[in-house]
Amino acid sequence: MGRRTRSAAAMAIVPLLLLSFFHLLQFVSSTQEIRVLSAEKRIDLTSPIARVFLTLKVENYGAPEVPEILIAFSPTESEHLAILKASTVEGKRKKKTYVPLSVSPVSSPDAPNGAQLYSVTLRSPLQSGETTTVEALYVLTHSLEPFPTEISQSEPQLVYYRDSATILSPYTIVEQTVYIKTPSSKVESYTKVEPTARSGSETRYGPYHDRLPYSFSPVIVHFENNNPFAVVEELVREIEISHWGNLQIRDHYRLKHAGARHKGVFSRTIAALGYFYWVYDTYAKHPCRLDYQFRQSLSASFKTLLAMLPPRVHSVYYRDDIGNISSSHLRINSQKSELEIEPRYPLFGGWKATFTIGYGLPLQDFLFESSDGRRYLNFSFGCPLIETVVDDLTVKVILPEGSRNPTAAVPFPVNQHLEMTYSYLDVVGRTTLVLQKRNVVPEHNYPFQVYYDFNPIFMLAEPLMLVSSVFLFFVAYIAYVHIDLSIRRPLKTNS
Amino acid sequence: MAPKPVMSPIPMHLYPAVSALLLVVGLLVSAFFFIYEATTSTRNRSLAKELVTATIASGFLGFGSLFLLLATGVYV
Repeated sequence: MGRRTRSAAAMAIVPLLLLSFFHLLQFVSSTQEIRVLSAEKRIDLTSPIARVFLTLKVENYGAPEVPEILIAFSPTESEHLAILKASTVEGKRKKKTYVPLSVSPVSSPDAPNGAQLYSVTLRSPLQSGETTTVEALYVLTHSLEPFPTEISQSEPQLVYYRDSATILSPYTIVEQTVYIKTPSSKVESYTKVEPTARSGSETRYGPYHDRLPYSFSPVIVHFENNNPFAVVEELVREIEISHWGNLQIRDHYRLKHAGARHKGVFSRTIAALGYFYWVYDTYAKHPCRLDYQFRQSLSASFKTLLAMLPPRVHSVYYRDDIGNISSSHLRINSQKSELEIEPRYPLFGGWKATFTIGYGLPLQDFLFESSDGRRYLNFSFGCPLIETVVDDLTVKVILPEGSRNPTAAVPFPVNQHLEMTYSYLDVVGRTTLVLQKRNVVPEHNYPFQVYYDFNPIFMLAEPLMLVSSVFLFFVAYIAYVHIDLSIRRPLKTNS
Repeated sequence: MAPKPVMSPIPMHLYPAVSALLLVVGLLVSAFFFIYEATTSTRNRSLAKELVTATIASGFLGFGSLFLLLATGVYV
C-alpha cells in the first residue's frame, strides 16, 4: 500500500471512530462543554438541621445553548435532602436581586456510584462563551450522627458530620472551596485533605484546583453540638374551617430528642445546678468569654420549645393524655404570637413526649373569595415549632359541610387524598383534604391554598336542624294533648 | 386586586347579644304556647293557633341556641 492509500484509509476511519466515540459519550458530551469556574460551598452546622449554601459560577465554552444546570448529590445526601432551592443573582452591588429558579429531580441511572442529579432551569439559556452564577440552598436532615451514642446527664454532646472535601458535580470544577461552620470552636477531630485550615468555628477545605467530574473525597468532622436536637416524629395538624367566623387548629405532636442517648441516672438537682457548673466553667476559667457560647447550656438536653403562631390567636391550649400542662407562656404582638412550652420533664437523648396544642384564629385572616367565586384557605404549611425537623407531617383541612370540589395548591410535592370527618351538627359529614409530606424543615413554612366551592345557603342547614328538633318536641306535645288515651267511656248526656 | 376575605354573616362580637335576644323571645312565645294549652279546654282549642305558635317558638329557640353555641366557642 502506498502512502496515499494509507492516508486515505486513515481519513476514512477517523470520522467513523469519532462518530462512535461521540455516540458513546452521548451522556457525558453535554457536560463536557460546561465547566464550573469557581464553586464555594458553605455548610452551616450550628443547628441540628444542616444547611448548605452552594455558589457555582458556570461557564459554557462549547455547547450552543444550555437551558439547565445539574447539581449532584451522593445517595445518602439525597435520602436526607429536605428541600433544594436555587436562585440567580441579577444586577450589581446595591441593586442585587435574587430571582428564584425552578428545580426538578432528574432520573440519572448512568451517574457513577448512584449519585442523584437535580436540574436547575436557567432564566434564559446560557449561550456559548457566557458565564452565570447560580446559588443553591439545600437542607439536610438527620445528617449529624451523635458519637459517642450514649452520654450521661452532664456530658457535652459530640456529633459526626460526613461530607466530601471536593464538591460532587457532573462538571469539571476549576477552583473550589468548602467551608464548614460549627456551633463552637470545640472540634474533636477533622479529616485533613490538604490544603485544610481551621480558625475558630470555621473549617476550610481548599482551595482545590481542576478536579474531575464526580470527584469525591470523604471527610468526617467530629465536633460538639449542644443545640436541642428536637425531632417531631409525627405531626398531625387539623385545620377546621367554620364559616361562622373561626378557624380551629389542633396539632398532635410526637416529639423526640434525637441526639446522643441518655445513659445513667437522671437527677433533677444536677440538671438545675448544671447552669452553675457552666458558669464556673465559662467564667472562672476564661474571664473574657463573651461570644455565642454565653447562651449555650452545658448539656444537650432541652427544657423549652418555641412555637410561632399567627397574630390574633385565641383560646390556646396545651395538653397531653394526662391533662392540661400549665408550664407555658404566650406572648402576643401585632406581627406574631410566640408560644413557649415546657414539657412535663426536660428531654434527654432518646426521650419522647406526646402532646397537643390547639388554638383558634379569626376566619377573615385566612379565608378568601377568589374572582371566580371559589373560596380558598390561605395557610402556612409546616410545623410552628422553630428549628425542628418533622419526619412525617399530615395536614388535614376540614371543610364545612356542603363544600364541593376541593383542590390544593402547594408549592412542593405532597401526597393528597380525601376523607370524611364528622363533627358538630353534621348530617352528611365534612369533606377533608389530607396532605402528607415526609422530612419537613422550617424552610417549608410556605403558604399553601385549598380551593373549594360553597353555596352560602348551606350555612342554614345547621340552624334548621336545631329548629326542626325543637319543633318536633312541640308537635309531640300537641299530639299528646289531642289524643284521648283514657279507658273510661266518654260521659253520655241524658237525652 | 386584593382578595376579598370571607366573614361571618353577623359580626362576631354581636353573637352573645343576638343569642340572648332570640332565646328570650323564643321562651316568651313558648310560654304563651303552654299557657294556651293549660287554660283552654279541649273543645275550644284551635289546632292552627297551636301549630303557628309552636313554629314561631321553635324558630326563635333554634336560632337562639345556634348563636348560644357560637357565643360559647363551639363553632359549629
